[in-house]
Amino acid sequence: MSTRSNRSWLPRLSTGLWYGYLVLIIAFLMTPLLSLIIASFDSGQTFSLPFEFTLEWYRNAVTSTSVQSAVDSTIRISVPVTILSTVIGTAGAIAYTRYSFRGREYFKIVALLPIFFPLILLGLGMSMWASVTGLGYGIVPAIIGETVWISPIVMFVVSISALGVDPNIEEAARDLGADTLTIYKDVLLPLIANGIVSGAIFAFVLSWNNYYIVSYLKGSEITITTWIHGRMTQGFTPVVPALASLIFYASLLLLLVAIVMEVRSER
Amino acid sequence: MSVKEFVRSKVPAAIDRPGRRLASVSSLGPPGGLMLPLLALLAFMFVGPIVAIVLFSVQTENVISLSVADWTLEAYREIVRGTLSGEGVYGEVTLNTIVISALTTVVAFVVSYPAAYALATKVRRFKLPILIALIIPLFTSVNIRVYGWVLFLINDGVFDLLAGSVGLDVPSIIYTRSAVVLGTVYVYLPYMLFPIYLSISTIDDSLLEAAADLGAGRAKQFVDIILPLSKPGVIIGSLFVFVLSLGAEVEAELLGGGTVYTAASNISYSFGYSQNWPLGSAQAVGLLLITTVCGIVILRTIDLAEIASRGGSR
Repeated sequence: MSTRSNRSWLPRLSTGLWYGYLVLIIAFLMTPLLSLIIASFDSGQTFSLPFEFTLEWYRNAVTSTSVQSAVDSTIRISVPVTILSTVIGTAGAIAYTRYSFRGREYFKIVALLPIFFPLILLGLGMSMWASVTGLGYGIVPAIIGETVWISPIVMFVVSISALGVDPNIEEAARDLGADTLTIYKDVLLPLIANGIVSGAIFAFVLSWNNYYIVSYLKGSEITITTWIHGRMTQGFTPVVPALASLIFYASLLLLLVAIVMEVRSER
Repeated sequence: MSVKEFVRSKVPAAIDRPGRRLASVSSLGPPGGLMLPLLALLAFMFVGPIVAIVLFSVQTENVISLSVADWTLEAYREIVRGTLSGEGVYGEVTLNTIVISALTTVVAFVVSYPAAYALATKVRRFKLPILIALIIPLFTSVNIRVYGWVLFLINDGVFDLLAGSVGLDVPSIIYTRSAVVLGTVYVYLPYMLFPIYLSISTIDDSLLEAAADLGAGRAKQFVDIILPLSKPGVIIGSLFVFVLSLGAEVEAELLGGGTVYTAASNISYSFGYSQNWPLGSAQAVGLLLITTVCGIVILRTIDLAEIASRGGSR
């Protein structure tokens, strides 16, 4: 039965090739991140391969006072942004997914539009607007600016998991005499909790890694991404890859948690 | 919302389309309290900045405060004149921007389509890890990722080491327009891949089975079913990539090394170094128009319920 064995290895080979292609794409996506990690262990003052292994730049990154103050500013922006955009985005998602009303599709379009704007455009506009309105520059304007971009993303993520929740459950709760508040507290929010948590983690990671908006609104504050950007445009500083790698490790860890939560909420 | 849809929301679930149903915590009008924070935020810090860009674009040169009554089209005139005559940077900037965005869209499409197709139809095992690996780079700062490419492409960088180890001596493409396109394709590839993946995932398997029963081979199934039905994803992905790569600044700055100017880097130059807000704003208005139109088209096309029901684990 040679035809039969032909039939079994050919599809397997083609499936293997498709997987191989996806692995190539992933390798492409990981190339710059791996390059950063390789460079972060290089002992030289200027990056050139082959190299000697060192952890010195990580030590420098962690102990540098300018890095510490950049981390401090970043946290003072990211934490409020995470809280605000999680609350605002979740409220928007509940409005969009759990209610039917006139203009619901328009609400979705308006609410999600900022996601599609190049960040540099948002940053520039916000910077001029902050000057005209007297909002000024610094931590608070940066928080407001980032929240504008991140709330819609949270709304998107939470909407996806809220749309997976069967509306009949709320209907049933209502029939059993639950009022709106009880339905929220005991039925809806627990059911979409995983989606909210993953939305919050996305918000935190995106805020932490934001460059454009913060660079236009930060005023004299220096955050991690703007600190790195300042150094990287002035030639090679070995602390930069080390710090960038550290941020990547932390983001990776948080994202894996977020993705696990989102996947669990879909099941 | 039409009467029909209102009625539909009241119809028992069994005869309603799944995924289209809307629950009624309360169906009495829009949930103002839930929408207000987001709408107020966007009115203040999204609509406001857009208005600021438009208003500043008609101000006289080198102002940083608005005087609305005193407006001029001088900034627009300068850009149009510059683009038409080819003098100064505008001709080159416009050309660069269009070439980079168009090339990025085409390359991202060619690279993504097979990957999206494989992911939607071929991959059964390890689907989640593959999806995660594709998403992860999106969450690292753009400037950090682009800087990673600089370290890869730079003299004696990772690429030289790899090429050298197999005995190749290839000049690096860093500080050329190709390097910028590499950067933008890299950054925006997932925005092409995921819409196409989602639209291929929503194709009903029974359609392909029916086609197979009627004697259509794999190639014919692909050309007559998968390709046309994945068109919405291709359109959304292309608009997404085109628009976002119009905003490529860091890519041009770091990978172009000060030799390649795009609209975004020129806009940022107008604001940063030459402190000419009206000129920068006038350039930004063009970008703004294209972005808004594309964004609305994308949002009108995507259906969140569809993504929720099909996008996850199929």
